[in-house]
Amino acid sequence: MKRFIIISLLSALIMPAFACGGWGTDNYYLFSPYYGQSFKSRVEKTCNDNWKAYIGDTSTDEWWSFHDEDVLKAARQKGDALMVSYVQNLQKYLKCVSVERDKQYEWGYPSKDEIATQQRDLKAIRTYAQGKLNSKLRSQHGLLFMRCNMMLGQHQENITFWEQTASQYIETVYKDMMHNIYAGALYKTGREAEAGQLFAEMNDYESLMTMYYLKRSYQAISQHYKQNPTSKALPWLLTDFVNNAQEYVDNGGSGYANGKMFVRDINAQESWQMQQFCEMVVKEGKTDCPIMWKMAKAWLEFLSGKKKEAATDILDAVKLDGTARMKDNAHVLMLYITAAQAKPSQAFDDYLADELTWLRGKQKESTDDSFFDNVETRLTNYVLVPHYRYNPVRLTAVARALHSAGSGFDLDTLNVADTEKYLYYTNSLTNNKLDKFLKANIHENDTAMSDLIGTKYMRLCQWDKAIAWLNTVPISYYNNNRSKGYLYYSLIRQWDVEPWAKRQWLDEDKAWEKDYKWWKHRKLDFCKEVQMMENSLNMLSGKALEQSCYNLAVRYAQASIHGDCWWLLRDFKSCMDSVRVHEVDLGQKAVKMLQKAAASTDLSLKRKALFALGYRELYNDVKGLSHWYTVSWEAGESVQAYHRDAPQFQAYQALYELTGDEPQEEYIRKCDAYDQFRKYYREHK
Amino acid sequence: MVTLLLLAMTACDKLSSRKPLEQSNAVYYWRTDLRLDSTERAFLSQYHINKVYCRYFDVVMDDSGEPKPNATISFSDTLPDSIEIIPTVYITEDCMHADHDGLAEKIVTRIRQMNETNDIPNVREIQIDCDYTSKSRKRYYQFLEEVGRLWKARLSTTIRLHQLSMPAPPVDYGALMVYNTGDPRKSEERNPILDYRDVGPYLKHLDNYPLPLATAYPVFRWLRMVYGVRYEYTVEAEEILKVKHAMEKERSDLSRSIITYHLDKDNIDRYKPETYEEIYHH
Repeated sequence: MKRFIIISLLSALIMPAFACGGWGTDNYYLFSPYYGQSFKSRVEKTCNDNWKAYIGDTSTDEWWSFHDEDVLKAARQKGDALMVSYVQNLQKYLKCVSVERDKQYEWGYPSKDEIATQQRDLKAIRTYAQGKLNSKLRSQHGLLFMRCNMMLGQHQENITFWEQTASQYIETVYKDMMHNIYAGALYKTGREAEAGQLFAEMNDYESLMTMYYLKRSYQAISQHYKQNPTSKALPWLLTDFVNNAQEYVDNGGSGYANGKMFVRDINAQESWQMQQFCEMVVKEGKTDCPIMWKMAKAWLEFLSGKKKEAATDILDAVKLDGTARMKDNAHVLMLYITAAQAKPSQAFDDYLADELTWLRGKQKESTDDSFFDNVETRLTNYVLVPHYRYNPVRLTAVARALHSAGSGFDLDTLNVADTEKYLYYTNSLTNNKLDKFLKANIHENDTAMSDLIGTKYMRLCQWDKAIAWLNTVPISYYNNNRSKGYLYYSLIRQWDVEPWAKRQWLDEDKAWEKDYKWWKHRKLDFCKEVQMMENSLNMLSGKALEQSCYNLAVRYAQASIHGDCWWLLRDFKSCMDSVRVHEVDLGQKAVKMLQKAAASTDLSLKRKALFALGYRELYNDVKGLSHWYTVSWEAGESVQAYHRDAPQFQAYQALYELTGDEPQEEYIRKCDAYDQFRKYYREHK
Repeated sequence: MVTLLLLAMTACDKLSSRKPLEQSNAVYYWRTDLRLDSTERAFLSQYHINKVYCRYFDVVMDDSGEPKPNATISFSDTLPDSIEIIPTVYITEDCMHADHDGLAEKIVTRIRQMNETNDIPNVREIQIDCDYTSKSRKRYYQFLEEVGRLWKARLSTTIRLHQLSMPAPPVDYGALMVYNTGDPRKSEERNPILDYRDVGPYLKHLDNYPLPLATAYPVFRWLRMVYGVRYEYTVEAEEILKVKHAMEKERSDLSRSIITYHLDKDNIDRYKPETYEEIYHH
């Protein structure tokens, strides 16, 4: 039996219902004046560590979770009767919790009997726990006692128990959890302000947001401040406000993107009011952290488009008092606001080099907090990548040296000339401060880069250059750096098989059955073969030329992204893939060759070429070009349309005229795509 | 001639089977905890509300592609004995994009169990709410038939204005939602909750629609952001009443069973008592 122990049921019981949860991608929040591991993850980890220590599990698996049966087994082996009874009662308690979960999210809504049993069990567990409050596991039993009270709605009893008894216990994670339940009980009995202070002290963000869910507006926060200017909940509420304002801007006016919980829209008016309020708080001098309010103002100004005001205010903010974390946060915001407004210059590059060095230092210092890593990602994606667009090599270096997932930059689609320059850049010496920083953080493999450049030339059908680069890439590179699937596909699939006549289906499971290795340079061989065939075209004529055109078409079609030999130009394939920038459309290149072959007087070759010209995969990437028929949905009905001007239609039409309604050739008769055309055309000549 | 006569008879049959609904004043209850404050209780009494369409839970697609209950209501409070509770289940339209075996049974069983567990006796009717489209209509209607077979008592469903042009669903009556009529993208021109001009084109379907209809009018507020500007929509009392009169002129029995969406103190305070009296005027 595997279960998670529910540590804070406050959230589960009082949180509003959300249809969706989850977190977004790279629009990390830059306003983060407080750091503290969240209450939930902190206590979960400590509890797990305690259980692991008890059962002697030394694994470092971060997804480790409590298994009650493992603990029971260990307890019995140790002859620890108290632990056995504790875990057995914990099991019963968890069963009671699952009844609550079923109420919300399961088809099996609990019956009256089940609820009565749940209530009876909770009371029994509570009685049991109460009887063990003087045992050596008093903290665990105290927690179990309070949990049962919480489920039974006995909040006042929990308040009394905490204040008179549990608050005197020694410091343990169980005491922290009891304290958290106590805060929840205060909230449930109308003592909201006290509960808010406690949740804030504990870093229990979920409970705070549940409590203040409807009290997060400028109006509510300013009221809260007036009642208690040093309230511990204020930094959380301010952070929530500012980050919601960022979310709103990042998502183009719809804060509810990405299914993030607790997001609310902050409009320009409300943001402006908060900016004025932040200034007033700083001037009033009642706060002990003016830097937080000032940097909130600066960041809100920046988000509202008032970039000059933001730059002035953030410069003032960094001089004000606050915690070390707040000062670092202000530093981050100053970097972001400054970089976002900088014009290209040597001075900015030098400044950036120093700041990135500082940021990397902070990342090393804070191993259990991803804030500074997230800052780097956001800075790169939102500011630096756009800033360095004027210099593709520097842009590439920035994207490759810094955290840039989600920036949209892709080395694979960079044009080949800039890729060559970038490779040269990575291998050259420099005195430039920023380049020194970037190069120190770039870890390119020259062989991988040579393969990439060679492949990019293949995509452009520049075989001589492709051969020059690929010649420097040893076969072992592919064998050591390509997936089993890639090696399997690249060895089995052949580029001289006509894709319109035979699909080279493979059983992907077999890729793992044995160790497939290249013994010949498959990409180089392809380049050399096609180069030789292209060069020979000038020397051929008549049927030999037409046949050679057909053979070349087979290779182009196979190497295209829709061909079986996609592995020649890509490392992997998606069914959504299409011809990308800086690539020749090999499908269309095949069409041109096939048209020459189709002009042949050799009827057999002509038939084959016309049949090939009907192959739909050749036309997939031509904008505005239809296949011979299309299906669309109109008013809920499927509507078929036929396109007589489509090249595919015309090829099949010519084939029909040539072979008649009963073609003799087996490859034509067996083709269901052509058969479909034949049936249509027979009636719609 | 014979065909025409038959067609005419069929149409007459349909309309004659359209039994008028009993006169009732109703509200939707759309929160996740049944707990009424004094204003809401007073409202129920003042406007002689005898039915509450109470959202029991939603049915949404989960990550594994199966429909699951969500946001189930808790019963912290009870309704006055004189009020009939009509369990209402909102189903997202994507649940009707594929067949889900046993969905109707799961829903009916869950509603029955919720009634039993929470001591809600004498439930005579359930309502299913789904914004079905031409894509999902057939599957939705099959699902409703199955619900009807299992429930064995009164079954209703919500009908949006755009659904009036489709064949009628297999239920005892429809609750015509006279709101969310506009295109939110054109909200600067027209109120997306309700605008008389958006209702006009649908009036012609009313008289021939073969099902008895209750009518649900909006009293809620809707907040949204459009390009950085915060919009708050509510419908003017005059607009609601103008639409009500136009609809009842087109089909007089629409005044028999009136619902407002939805019961909430803020919504009650938004309109004058005269407005509610007029909305609930039969």
